[in-house]
Amino acid sequence: MILSGAFRERLRSAWTEIRENLGRSVLQALGVMLGVASVLGGFSISDSMRRHSEDAWLKRGGFDKLNVQQAGAIRDGTTPTALQNANLGLRKLDATDGEQTSDKTVQAFSVERFAKVRVRSPFADRDRDIRGIAADYLPMNGYEVEKGRAFGAEDIEKAAPVAILGAEAVSVFFPTGEAVGQVIRVGDTPVTVIGVLKEKVFRWRESEPNVFAWRNRIIALPATLVSKRMQGDPHQRVDRVVFKVPNLGLMDLFAKGLTSVLKGNHRQQEDFRLDDLAARVKKNRSQGEIYNMVFMLSGILSLIGGGMVNVNIQLASLKERVREVGVKMAIGASGREVFKEFMTEALLLTSLGGVVGFVLGAAFSKVITKLLEVPLWMDPLSFLWAFALALVFGFVFAIYPAWKAARLSPMEALRYE
Amino acid sequence: MTTRIIETAGLTKVFGGNGMAVHALRGIDLTVGRGEFVALVGPSGSGKSTLMSILGCLDSPTDGSYLLDGEAVQGLSGAALARIRNEKVGFVFQNYNLLPKANVLRNVELPLLYAGLPRKERKARALEMLEKVGIPEKANVLPAKLSGGQRQRVAVARALANRPALLLADEPTGALDSRTGGEVLELFAELNRQGNTVVLVTHDPKIASLASRRVELSDGLVVTPEERAA
Repeated sequence: MILSGAFRERLRSAWTEIRENLGRSVLQALGVMLGVASVLGGFSISDSMRRHSEDAWLKRGGFDKLNVQQAGAIRDGTTPTALQNANLGLRKLDATDGEQTSDKTVQAFSVERFAKVRVRSPFADRDRDIRGIAADYLPMNGYEVEKGRAFGAEDIEKAAPVAILGAEAVSVFFPTGEAVGQVIRVGDTPVTVIGVLKEKVFRWRESEPNVFAWRNRIIALPATLVSKRMQGDPHQRVDRVVFKVPNLGLMDLFAKGLTSVLKGNHRQQEDFRLDDLAARVKKNRSQGEIYNMVFMLSGILSLIGGGMVNVNIQLASLKERVREVGVKMAIGASGREVFKEFMTEALLLTSLGGVVGFVLGAAFSKVITKLLEVPLWMDPLSFLWAFALALVFGFVFAIYPAWKAARLSPMEALRYE
Repeated sequence: MTTRIIETAGLTKVFGGNGMAVHALRGIDLTVGRGEFVALVGPSGSGKSTLMSILGCLDSPTDGSYLLDGEAVQGLSGAALARIRNEKVGFVFQNYNLLPKANVLRNVELPLLYAGLPRKERKARALEMLEKVGIPEKANVLPAKLSGGQRQRVAVARALANRPALLLADEPTGALDSRTGGEVLELFAELNRQGNTVVLVTHDPKIASLASRRVELSDGLVVTPEERAA
């Protein structure tokens, strides 16, 4: 209690000192302000950029995915062996087997089968890419059903003649609006539209085109329907299998297990390719970290510069305050107490400068992100970093003048003119 | 409770060295009893300021022993000396030495703060001291707004705040006109009658005559230690 009381008093007189010498104090705090602003601004801008690009991934349904695609097993232009020819390629079985290798790691999986067919409605007649899907394809790719419903397990199993349309597909085939319940012909098969997807939009900048426009072109059917009715394939071959692995740390282990399972299914042929999206995102992130390091370094440099200015000003002002120190010592302040008083003043000044730096840094980031047309995102950790750095440097550079003041001899300080 | 507040034996103080040494004090034996009012007089250069600094624990003697209120002071660390200054010595200076940015109350509270008193007690004690020196109404005023006499009263209140064993005044009337100077001296006399031990440094024989005892310094030595009057 006594201690906190003394601290409060020190804080009070430090505040008086700062207020009484406003010009000098502002000058002293300038380095801190700029340092904090630069660290905070730099971090925030780089975080905003990174978050924006990660946002694109999230809208695609996340980057915690492992893609498996059909790939040629034949290399270097050699003739395929009988074994390789006999292989069926990627099948539905691979997806379910893969999921079973570690169903705790795999949160979801999806199966895709592509085809290009003629699609007709009362309003349009086009050659379109269609997509046979199964399992968790829609949620894993960030699609949301706007009207109607998604495929049920029974639709997939029985290859039901049903379809789900993306926003663009709706506008092409049903320009008047209502699509759910209508029938389209996909190839020769009449298919009922049972659901419509919400439009997906993502722009790198406000003024740029929607990079997800192609995703709204989707015409989704049960994968089984595409295999059987449109391609006459009894083996349920698929073009792509995707596994969702939320725990990125387990991704490598899962990929290894999956490879051996798939090789087992494929007569030890590696006619498939694994593509780890998380690895790409990680690379992206580590680039962001390099930017952060650079920003932190420039912040540290301005804190060092400001700190040195601070030491000089503090030492110069100490000359004016020698008598004051002498008086305080005469009435019982120990060198330790004087040291604490000077440090309190310096740290209070640093804190105030830091708060102003927050405002400057936030304003700076706001302006830059506005120019980049990227939404501003500020991590509370950036504030913490900026403030912690300022305090550390404020503390280090305050030590020397405070130590000099504390070491004054009371008698000489009292006589100082 | 010792009856002797100051007891020195063979105090010396040497400044400088390497053949340039200045012997400011050359063996002071001085005893001041509780409740005495002693005037320390002597021409400039006689060593009275040096002696005053050592008596007030602002400086350490080169040699010799010093008991302040029964506590051996020589050879103590800076922090220990600061504590003794805080608890046992009250300083009054010629030029007041008040903190200009703190109001009167805070100036008087300062030694209590360093002593670690809680806020409420500090305030109560400081107001009591201001009452004692006769300017309780000036508590919230900055020193710059006060007259010289009032400032010196604040300084006295601050010196008294921790109820020190020894009140040390260095030419306390030096910056005042004779009337206010007289009033301040009367304050010291009154404080002495209330039981405070006062040591007053002056070069003015008239002022010295107010004291119950005169100790005259010359060339770093006590010249005429008179008999105790009180």
